[in-house]
Amino acid sequence: MKKPKLELVSLKKEYDNATVAAVDGIDLSIEAGETVALLGPSGCGKSTTLNMIVGLEEPTSGDIQIDGQSIIGVPLGKRNVGLVFQDYAVFTTMTVRQNLAFGLEIRHAARPEIVRAVAEVAGLLDMSDRLDVRAKDLGGSELQRVAIGRTLVTKPAILLLDEPLSNLEAAARLAMRRELRRLQSEIGLTIIYVTHDQVEALSLADRIAVMRAGKILQVEKTSVISERPDHIFVASFLGSPPMNLLKGHIEAKDDAMVFRQGSFSLPLGGTSSGDAVFAKGPFTLGIRPESLRFAPKETAPLTGQVLLVEPRGPEVVLTVKIGAVQLKVVAPPVGYPVEGATAGLAVDLDALVFFDGRTNRRVDVCQAGRPN
Amino acid sequence: MKESYAPRGRDFPVLVIDRLTKSFRRKTALDQVSFTVPAASLTVILGPAGAGKTTALRLIAGLDRPDSGTVILAGQDIGSWEPKDRNIAMILDNLALYPNKTGYENIASPLVIRGESKTEIERKVAEIAATLKVSHILKRLPKTMSGGERQRIALGRALIRTPNLFLLDEPLSSLDAMLRIELRAELKRLQRDLGYTFLLATPDYNEAMAIADTVVMLREGRVVQIAKPQTLYDEPTDRDVARFVGSPQINVIGARYAPGESGGNIEIADSRLPVPPHLQTTFASRACDFELGIRPENLRLADPSRAHITAKLTDIEPLGLKSALTVRNAGAELRLLVESIVTRDISVGQSVGVEVTNASMLLAFDPSTGRRMSPE
Repeated sequence: MKKPKLELVSLKKEYDNATVAAVDGIDLSIEAGETVALLGPSGCGKSTTLNMIVGLEEPTSGDIQIDGQSIIGVPLGKRNVGLVFQDYAVFTTMTVRQNLAFGLEIRHAARPEIVRAVAEVAGLLDMSDRLDVRAKDLGGSELQRVAIGRTLVTKPAILLLDEPLSNLEAAARLAMRRELRRLQSEIGLTIIYVTHDQVEALSLADRIAVMRAGKILQVEKTSVISERPDHIFVASFLGSPPMNLLKGHIEAKDDAMVFRQGSFSLPLGGTSSGDAVFAKGPFTLGIRPESLRFAPKETAPLTGQVLLVEPRGPEVVLTVKIGAVQLKVVAPPVGYPVEGATAGLAVDLDALVFFDGRTNRRVDVCQAGRPN
Repeated sequence: MKESYAPRGRDFPVLVIDRLTKSFRRKTALDQVSFTVPAASLTVILGPAGAGKTTALRLIAGLDRPDSGTVILAGQDIGSWEPKDRNIAMILDNLALYPNKTGYENIASPLVIRGESKTEIERKVAEIAATLKVSHILKRLPKTMSGGERQRIALGRALIRTPNLFLLDEPLSSLDAMLRIELRAELKRLQRDLGYTFLLATPDYNEAMAIADTVVMLREGRVVQIAKPQTLYDEPTDRDVARFVGSPQINVIGARYAPGESGGNIEIADSRLPVPPHLQTTFASRACDFELGIRPENLRLADPSRAHITAKLTDIEPLGLKSALTVRNAGAELRLLVESIVTRDISVGQSVGVEVTNASMLLAFDPSTGRRMSPE
C-alpha cells in the first residue's frame, strides 16, 4: 500500500461572507504511515477540515497536498481518501459481504478483484465468518468495523475517521481502539482521526493537533503533549481531570517566591533569582491534580475545605475550596478526607507549569533559580 | 403498608420500587426490580444498553404501565396515577430549547405555563441561573450560545420546577467528553445544594461512580447489585460487574488454590502467589479451581528474574500520564496500568516481569457461576 504524505497549507474555510471562519488558516504536515488526531470541542473546525480533505467542502483559501500535489479541484471520489463517519452509513439490508464489496462495485472493479479484496479486508477485521450476516443483525462495534472495512476495501491513500467510536458503548470502544491500533501497525495506513475525546486521541495517535475556534493551538507527539502543553487551552483539554489553572501574579517575599490570586497564595520556595521574569506577570499557574497531595494541616502550604469527592475506582478526585479558588486533587482511594472536612495540601513544586497571562502560551521561567 | 413510608425527614425514601416487572411482546424488560431512593440523594441506575434502565424510568414516570409490582412515591402508591399527577420531572438526553426565546424565557417557561407571579418567577430564575453560572447569558437567544451554555439553560428549565423526584435519562450523553465531566460535577452540586432527589440512568460507569450516592446495577432486567460507588468497584457481586466497572477492564484469569503452609498458594499463569489474608477463609482446605480478578492498577512491571510472572509485552496504549500495557505468556493475557514514564524504557516484543502490588485487592470468582467468592 502506497504511503503518501498529506500537507495542509494555510487552509481556511469561511462562511456567511467571511464573517465566520470555521477553519482559520491551519498548517499541518502528516508523514506517511502516521496517525494524527485532530482533538477539540464541537465547533472547533475539526470536521470541516476533514470535509475539505475528502472534498465535501471547498476551502476559501489555502491548499491541500497529497505527495506534494494539490488536490484542490479534484472531485470527491477521485482523491483517494476514505472517510468513515460516526454514524456508520452501513446498508442495513445488505450482508457484510455486500457492504464490503459496495465501494468496488460502484467503481466497476473486476469480480475476482472484488472477491479477493473483500476476503482480505474481512480477514484484517476478523470478520471472515460473518460475511453472510445481514448488517441489521450486527452489534454496534461490528457495524463500525464494517464501516471501516467498506472504506479500506478501496485502498485509500489516507483514511479519515470522524469520531468513529462515539456511538459505541465504553467496553466496545476499548476493544475497537485496540483493533484500530492493530490495523495501524499491520497495514501502516496514514490516518487522520477526529475526536473530542482525549483518551481516543492519546491511545491511537502518534501526534495530536489540538484545535479551538478554527485554529491549531499545538501539534505535539502524543507521548509528551500531556506533560508539555504549550497553551492554556491545551492544558485545560488534556488530563482527567485537567490541570488546575489559576490566573495571578508572582511576588518576591523575603528570599522566596509566592504565587498570588486574590487571597490565595502558594509559596514557590527557593530564592528570588527569577525576579526579572516574574515581575512581568500576570501569569496563569498550572497545577496538575496528580501533583497535589494531602498533608498535615499544621505544616501544609495550603489548607481548604473538601467540597466534593468523586470515586473513580483506582483513585478518587476531590474538589478542595481554598478561599475563592477550587482545586481538583487526585488521591489514592484510601485515607482521603471526607466531604466537608478541612484538609492540608502539599504541592510538588517541580510539576508546576506557568503560562503567560496575556498570550496564554507556556513560559519557561527560571523557577526558584532552577532551569525549568 | 402505605403508612410505613410516611415522610420522616431527610432519610425517608422518596421512591420505593417493589418487584417491578414489565414485558414487551413476551420479552422481559424488567424482572422483579426492587430498590429505594432516599430523599435528597442521587441514585444512579447503571447498566449496559438493553438492561432496562429506560423502561424502569418510564414505569416510574407513568409513561408505561408495569405488568406487576408497585411504585410508591412519597408514601403513596401511584400505580394508577396519570403521569401529570405524579409530581415527577423527567429530563431526557435531548434538551431542546425554544429557539425564539431568550435564555431567561426558556428557563421561566414551565413557571409561566403554571401561571406563577412575575416576581416569583424572577426570583427563581435568578437563583437557578446563578447556580448554573448562566446569569450573563439570560438575555441571549440559544443560537448565540455555545453547546455547554445551551445545555445549562436546558438544565435550568428542567430544574426550576420542584417535583418530588427528578428522573434523568442519560442527560449528558450528547455532550463532548470534557463538557460532560464538567457538567456532571455541576449536576451533583446542584442536586445537593437544592436538596433535590435524583434518579439518573447511565451506561457510563465513570459517570455513575463520580456522582452517585448509591448505584443500582442493572443487567438483563434484573438488579444485580446495589452499592456505594467504591464498593461496586472494590467488591463487585460477580465477574460481569467487575468487568463492567473499571477501565482498562479487570483481568480475570484461571487460577488454582493449592493448600499449604501459611494459607497456601494461588497458582496462576505458570507461577504462584501466597494467598492474601482476606482470601484465606474463602477456600475450603482442599485444592480448587477458581478465577482470579486483578485490577490493572494492582499490577506493575518488575525485574523478570525475580518477578512472580514473566511474560511478553504485546501492546502499549498511551492514556496520557498513565499507559495500559498488555502482556502475554502461555498461561494468560494480563493488562497493567502504569505511569507513562515507565514506557520509555520498554518496547513491544520484549520480555517483562509482572508483580502484584496490592494483594489485598485481589478478587476470587466462582468459575461456574461467576459470583465473587467472599470469606465464609
